[in-house]
Amino acid sequence: MPDESDLQRLYDEHAQALFAFLLNFTRDEDDTRDLLQEIFTRLARQPGLLRGAREERPFLIRLAHNAAIDMMRRRGARQKYYDQLADETLTFFASAENPDEAEFRQSLSRALAELPYEQRAVVHLKLWENLTFDQIADALDLPPNTAASRYRYGIDKLRERLRPLYEEIK
Amino acid sequence: MNTDDFEKRLQRQPLREIPAEWREEILKGAQTPRHSSSVTRHSFLSTLNSKLSTVLWPHPKAWAGLAAAWVLIVAVHFASSDPSLQVAKKAQPPTPEVLVILQQQQRLLAELVGPTMPREADRPKPNTAQPRSERRMETVCA
Repeated sequence: MPDESDLQRLYDEHAQALFAFLLNFTRDEDDTRDLLQEIFTRLARQPGLLRGAREERPFLIRLAHNAAIDMMRRRGARQKYYDQLADETLTFFASAENPDEAEFRQSLSRALAELPYEQRAVVHLKLWENLTFDQIADALDLPPNTAASRYRYGIDKLRERLRPLYEEIK
Repeated sequence: MNTDDFEKRLQRQPLREIPAEWREEILKGAQTPRHSSSVTRHSFLSTLNSKLSTVLWPHPKAWAGLAAAWVLIVAVHFASSDPSLQVAKKAQPPTPEVLVILQQQQRLLAELVGPTMPREADRPKPNTAQPRSERRMETVCA
């Protein structure tokens, strides 16, 4: 079992990022909570898990991604789960006082939910984790060029979807 | 719409905060020791599951195709194999009691039918004179 303070440090440094990534994936707070628990339990029981990692954040994102995929597979067909996700309207942005801003965030949340997961994950890691395409490729186990093209496709779809609203409140 | 502006605008959107009460719950849950045997069993199963997932997940269609091909090969194999051979393989040697019963039945049948008559095919052909073939002579003459 690793040092308790080490686990606390990992939580303080990375839990917020993992929470946002998993919430974007699952669109469900309970599932996100379960997956976070699974990841930190694994870290507690396998002290050497992070030893071979070049960088902690991409490695932990990878763990989270694999755990989420496993959970999704346990629940059934992948596409079925995507369809379910697309219908959900859970927002994963902070609430805003300004109505225009609140509407933009709500629309962005819905537009993100409509993206295929492969694009949504890359867009999330690029925009809100500021990871490079190499780091994203490492975390999601895909070639950097694929990560870059998925990001471009995802951003184009978001721009298309949010154009009227964005032009209005710009 | 300028792409950079749009991306910067998206980046500025603050994400939801992780609930503060989760910290203590998750860290406490992670540190709680479990029963050793269940830990070993679970970790073995989860490791196996994780390894299999890592290997199989990137190309699920390819693996499904391979599995389907194997099912087809096995089906063709069973369909083309000699069924009598399989029946013979499955058949058990008769027990002594069964042999005795069979012998009794054969004896009873023989008594009921009487002495067996030779079949048409087995009966010796009557030794009547047949015209000799002249084919040999024709061949020699030719």
